[in-house]
Order: sequence, then structure tokens, then C-alpha cells
Amino acid sequence: MTLDNLTSQNGEWLSGSGPQQDIVISSRVRLARNVASYPFMSKANRLQRTELHRLVRENLLQAPSTGAGRTVFYVDMEKTDEIDRQLLVERHLISKQHAAGEGARGVAISNDEALAVMVNEEDHLRMQILRSGLQLREAWQEADKLDDLLQQHLDFAFSQRFGFLTACPTNVGTGLRVSVMLHLPALKLTGDIEKVFRAAKDMHLAVRGLYGEGTEAIGDFYQVSNQTTLGRSEEEILAEFNDVIIPRIIQAELAARQILENERPLALDDRIGRAIGVLKYARLLSSEETLYFLSHLRLGVVMKRVTGLDLPTINSLFLQTQPAHLQRLLGKQLEGDARKSARAEFVRNKVGKNNL
Amino acid sequence: MHLCERCNKPATVHLTEISGGKPHEVHLCDACAQEAGYIQQSHVPINELLNQFLKSHAQMPDVQTQRCPDCGLTWQEFKDTGLLGCGRDYDLFEKQLQGVIERAQHGGTHHTGKTSASSAPGAAPAAEDPVKLRQAEIKRLKKELDIAVKEESYETAARIRDQIKSMEGPS
Ligand SMILES: [Zn+2]
Ligand SMILES: [Zn+2]
Repeated sequence: MTLDNLTSQNGEWLSGSGPQQDIVISSRVRLARNVASYPFMSKANRLQRTELHRLVRENLLQAPSTGAGRTVFYVDMEKTDEIDRQLLVERHLISKQHAAGEGARGVAISNDEALAVMVNEEDHLRMQILRSGLQLREAWQEADKLDDLLQQHLDFAFSQRFGFLTACPTNVGTGLRVSVMLHLPALKLTGDIEKVFRAAKDMHLAVRGLYGEGTEAIGDFYQVSNQTTLGRSEEEILAEFNDVIIPRIIQAELAARQILENERPLALDDRIGRAIGVLKYARLLSSEETLYFLSHLRLGVVMKRVTGLDLPTINSLFLQTQPAHLQRLLGKQLEGDARKSARAEFVRNKVGKNNL
Repeated sequence: MHLCERCNKPATVHLTEISGGKPHEVHLCDACAQEAGYIQQSHVPINELLNQFLKSHAQMPDVQTQRCPDCGLTWQEFKDTGLLGCGRDYDLFEKQLQGVIERAQHGGTHHTGKTSASSAPGAAPAAEDPVKLRQAEIKRLKKELDIAVKEESYETAARIRDQIKSMEGPS
């Protein structure tokens, strides 16, 4: 398994096969852990950093950590060039911070990409399980199991009062960050998205876009995650998300789609039609523009107003039109208009056949 | 100067939004931009929390001089970076951290979730695992090494260093 294979495959989380796939793109569970006998990253010297890297990598590759016949491969960040680090960011396998970091660090990835463990990021270990659709409980069970397996060999920093100890106190306790990636184009079109944000804020949840933190959500993708990791158990955090928050947002989006369909079908088809028009005929496409119009096309597909395209194809387009993916797929470095032109051609070949 | 579209206060956030394929300018004040979701805080602004907290707690006597014996962290360093240096800092700076954590965690003060394997009641002592045993021994040797270097006992230091090296080698 290499990064070449990754580029052309879809990753389980984008397969469009999970529950509630029309709205929920993916569910992610992340656990932050630190090895007890070493200082946290900011105080680890080069030797300690290298030791840690080796120790954790060994354990990740040895442990039957991944279960279910999964194999794991390891990417050493210091030996990986910029475009491939960017590729991993686009696939949500590492953070921007990890890509831009320095020193001994890496990521263990399972061949289906459901599992990714960053080594030497802000914490010694950041274990991530990513599943398609709404599968938070399944994701948590896997993360929990992996954590147990690793704890047979590694002693994690833990205190009775504060739980699992992390470099930043915003992660202390469970070390658990639960995130759900939602596609909410109808709420955006009806303008009700702001109510969802306000409600999320009241519940101490963070909302951000598909890529990047602090940027506006492009393509109507919103990632909702918990901010509180201390004082509530994993089960409480999960239950609130899985059983209360996410179902409510799903309901709101479904209601907005219904309103568009019943009361504003022309406006809806106009949006979808314009998106198809641009994607089919544009000769220069930026990645932001592509996300923007693909979002409306995706809405058309899940609302069955467009034929000839399926969800996995659309989902993979979101990824393959990102800069590093596009260049990897085409096998060359491209800048400016050359890249935009290549993107437009790539999209045209995939979208060209469908009908409104 | 642009005024906020919603409340007419001076606008501080200026954006170009694409809607219907056409760009259009949006001007908002901070509060309205946050409410509309244009500004999203990805992290609890820990420095802000710290500043508030420190103002309300004026100078605590020992805080300024205290330094973690394991990692060397001072409270001032934590204030600057928002990051702790090792697990021990949670004990050492517990008093100062308490308020910061309570705010960052929206009232959470004590862990109620999963416990670590080695802290679970009835858990086998960590030392029974050969890997953990080796880790613990290396940790102890490193402390000895630090002391030896500080005392300028270089022969001892060299011996300990070789011992650590051999233990860290491929097992
Ligand atoms: Zn305003
Ligand atoms: Zn320390």
C-alpha cells in the first residue's frame, strides 16, 4: 500500500454507503494520548522525539490493533514531500499542523483509511477512526478497542482527577473529539443555517468547514464537533451527539429540502441546472468554485432531480478536484490557469453525461 | 467606512461571498459575523481564558518562580503557549489550572470517563509487561544521567548513557 494507491481509491468514509449518507458524509472519533514516561511534544528534545516516534510506530505496526483483517502502513512525514503531505490533509488523514510540522513524526494508516494515527502531533498519539455516514458508535467502539490494545504495551499519562493528560487542557479527560461532517445545502439556501449555528454554539459545539479551520464553509459542508472533554463520559458525549444533536440537524435539513421541493421547485432546479451548466461547460475552475457547484449538484442527485450520477462519484469528485489530488492523478505539477483548466476538463469528463 | 449590514455598528469583517455564481460583498461587525457563522472559533481561545483568569486572581506567590523539575515548564510559558510540558504539570500547577480548565471545559472539573489500563483497579502492575518495564528503567536511568551531568561526574554519565543506549537498541 502506498500513497499512489490512495489517490485513486475512495476511502471507506467517502463510499457514500453509511447510514444517513444523503446528509451525513462521515463520522469521526479522535482520541488524544501521551506516553507517560516522556514529556509532551513542546518539551521533548530531539532524541526523545525520535525515540517516541520509533516506540509508537513499532507498537502501531505490531499490534493487531486494527482488527478485521486490516493492514496498516506507516508514512514518515520527514521522508514525505509537500504534495503528498497535502494529499493526506485533503483526505482528512492528517491535520494541516502535522503536514507543516517539523521533526520526527508520522502517521499510521489502514488500507481502507478508516484508521489513522498521527504520531508526534500536538500529542504523542492522535488516533482517528473515520466512517462513512452516521456511525459514531461504531467509530467509538473501534477507537476504544485500539486504545485498549495499545495500552497493553504503552503506559499513557493519566491522572485520577483529570483523566488522560494532554498537552492542551482543552483536550484533557477523555481526550475524545467527536466530529460529524454534514452536507447542508438546503439549510443554506433557505437561510436557516444560522439558526443551526446559534443552537450549536449554545450547546458548546464547534462548527467549521470541510477544509481548514476558521474559514467559511465552502460547498455547504459543516463539521460539528464537541468542545468539552472533561466532566462527561465518552458515552455521554456520544449519546448527545448521536441521539440528539445530529438527528436534529438532519431533521432540519430534510425539512428545508421538503420546503424547496414543494414551495420553490423552480428555484431549486435553477440552482442545480446552473451548477451542471458550469461544471459541464466551464473551461477554468478553481477548487472553491468547484466545491460550491458540486454541492448543488450533490443536492440534485440525492433529491433525485438529476439522473446519470451516483453519490460515490460525486463524493470522490469533491476529493479529486482538490489541488494535491488533481496533480497526483494527472501526474504533474500544475499552477494557475493550467491547473484550473485541467480541473475543468477532469470535472467535465465525469459530469458530462448527466441530465436534469 | 462600511457599517454592519445587520446592526449598523462599524463593520470589521469584510467578505466576498459567491452566491448564484456571482460575487457579492458582505460587511459585518464581529458579533454579527460570529452569529452568522462567518467567523468560527476552532479552538477555545485559551489565551483569552487565561488572561481573564489571571486578572481575577492577581499574583499568586509561588507561581512566578515555580518550574517543573521534570520538563522545566513555568507558568509563564504555559500562559504564552497554552501548552503544558509534561503530565506532572497537571499536579504541579493544579491550583492555577483549575480555573482555566473549568472555563475551557464549560464547568467540567473531574474526569468521569474511561480509565487507563494501569490505573484500573486490579490492573496488573505495569512492571509485569517487559516493554513497560524497559520504559520505566530507561526513564529512571535518564534522571540519573541528568544528575550525573549536573554534578559533572562525566565518567558515571558516560556509563549511564551507554546503558540507556543498549536498552533502547532494537529489542
Ligand atoms: Zn453587527
Ligand atoms: Zn513538566
